[in-house]
Amino acid sequence: MPLLEVNRLARAFGSVRAVDGVSFRVEPGEIYGLLGPNGAGKTTTLSMICGLLKPDAGDITVDGVNFWTDPPRAQGIMGVVPQEIALYEELSGRENLEFWGRLAGLDRSTAKARAGELLAALSLADRAEDAVKKYSGGMKRRINLGAALMHRPRLLLLDEPTVGIDPQARANILEFIRGLCVGGTGILYTTHYLEEAEQLCQRIGIIDHGRLLAEGTLAQLQERLGGDRLFVAEGQLAGARPDSWPGFRERFRTLQQTERQLTVAALGSRDPADCLRDLLALPVHIENVTVKRPSLNDVFLQLTGRDLRE
Amino acid sequence: MRQALAIGHNDLRLFLRNRLSLVWLLVVPLAFVYFMGFANRGPGDPANPRPGVLVDNRDRDYLSRALLAELGAQGLTVLDPTNRDQARRGIEIPADFTERVVRGDQGRVRFFTLAESGLDASALVELRLVRALIALNSHLIEHAGAHGGELPDEAALEGLRQKPNPVSLDARFAGRKPIPVGFALSVPGVLVMYLMLNLLVFGGAAVASERRSGLMRRFLMQPLSRGALIMGKVYGLVLLGAVQVAVFLVLGQFVFKVELGSELPGILLTLMIYSWMSASLGVLIGSVITSEDKVTGLCVLASMVMAALGGCWWPLEVVPESIRTLAHFFPTAWALDALHQMITFGGGFAAAGSAIGVLVLFGLAANLAAVKLFRP
Repeated sequence: MPLLEVNRLARAFGSVRAVDGVSFRVEPGEIYGLLGPNGAGKTTTLSMICGLLKPDAGDITVDGVNFWTDPPRAQGIMGVVPQEIALYEELSGRENLEFWGRLAGLDRSTAKARAGELLAALSLADRAEDAVKKYSGGMKRRINLGAALMHRPRLLLLDEPTVGIDPQARANILEFIRGLCVGGTGILYTTHYLEEAEQLCQRIGIIDHGRLLAEGTLAQLQERLGGDRLFVAEGQLAGARPDSWPGFRERFRTLQQTERQLTVAALGSRDPADCLRDLLALPVHIENVTVKRPSLNDVFLQLTGRDLRE
Repeated sequence: MRQALAIGHNDLRLFLRNRLSLVWLLVVPLAFVYFMGFANRGPGDPANPRPGVLVDNRDRDYLSRALLAELGAQGLTVLDPTNRDQARRGIEIPADFTERVVRGDQGRVRFFTLAESGLDASALVELRLVRALIALNSHLIEHAGAHGGELPDEAALEGLRQKPNPVSLDARFAGRKPIPVGFALSVPGVLVMYLMLNLLVFGGAAVASERRSGLMRRFLMQPLSRGALIMGKVYGLVLLGAVQVAVFLVLGQFVFKVELGSELPGILLTLMIYSWMSASLGVLIGSVITSEDKVTGLCVLASMVMAALGGCWWPLEVVPESIRTLAHFFPTAWALDALHQMITFGGGFAAAGSAIGVLVLFGLAANLAAVKLFRP
């Protein structure tokens, strides 16, 4: 049974459909990434899952029970790490953890013990008594994460938990999250960082303008582009109309075109050498052709026509 | 419930950890108590003035001692020459006072004016002196009448003095109530003003700040009902109010000498209900207004208007009837009505009951509005 199942979730703000029929599921021990640019609907989706917003339509099932049947039960199963650092800056890291643990339902002594465990696990034991306002950005992010883990949630919702921190701190947090997954925690991870989704998530849903455009493992998503290779041709491409070239549409699918660059996926299972020959024989001056593995950005590009990094 | 308590205790910890909060909670209000008490001081304690009288007692015998005891019983504070500066008037008891009375001659007590004392004080002192002399004479006559004209010795006279009077006069304020003045005005007045100000500002600004920083969203992500969250926020503010009330009442009683006496439970109940009402209002304002600066500005303005109109700065007894009516649209006036009944007017808890009841209604209204309009 999935820990979280979201079915045709929808929410509008006025005339803007922030989330439009999104469905996915998160299994125990799985990290499911919800990847999309800012404003795609990731945070709205997560807000509905944790009860901050009521959906206009759709169902949210947590551990087999509809969320709105018993919200406190569902909220007790999940831990939520908000995008902003929602901590009391005047309190120490330990005091913050203990406080949020108490709110999650722990008694005083359990909260105290659990805070000690988490501070050690998050490598913050030596700064546990310092006020959070004295912490670096990465340390605050770790406490922000720890505050959601006090009651050992089986389902963890992470809303862009590494925004604004340095690569080393990000790597530490991602490593910690991998550890949680190994322990059986189901994780919903929203991000707009391609690399995080690629490195961390077992399955990825690509969301834009409130719609889930594609879903699958990284390999499955790459497969949508026609295998594990893309061809990038560089040359004088200003004003070129590839689809009008004889035989091009039957052999290639254009992913992106600029004045200097044309990115295409080969259709069918063709030999890469044949593809290269075809590209060099195009009726424009091609200076260089490179072959690369398709990235999530390429998938996003193919799905939306836009670069996720834009 | 446990979660609401945790929220309240955490909020109190946060408030008390902020040094600026302590300044506004204790230092500034207590300075106000002193200055307002000083500015509004009356001619003396309005309930039971005991003017000082300087006694130059040259008689060493028992009748002069009995007279001094009677002066005290009649409401004068007997002062020796070392405390001359505290006296309003003076009397001189001649060395042969007892001897002359025992002999059957008239003993004379000389009443004299102190150069630095005002005329208005003399009437009260003179009246009480005459009452003391009448009382002493009546004891002598009573004994002489019962013992064939024989005067009492010291023990017999003391026995007569201790006997309850066959006729007593129960004197009360008639017509208008006494006006609270001095620290009896400023301690409850400033406490009511600053409880409202602090709970509104701290409550409203805390809610607005926690909404801005995302803490409110985090609260709502917990397995925690909205009602428990509001209850916790109000509870934290009531605890903060309790700290301020405790400090004020202790200092009021022992430093500012405001008699709280047997009415302490009623006074505490009134102030806790008022704190609950103010805390609910603070959470309500923080829910409705998003900007912390606007919350602070509005709360300060609202508190000052309610304090001035409600009788925190001057007694409502001295303002026109129309202003008194207007004042009772605000909880400050009802809180002070209840407190003055118990502290100054001597009406007791029963007399303060209706004002406390109105405060409860204000509190319920503020609480329900806070629950209804709470915006995380």
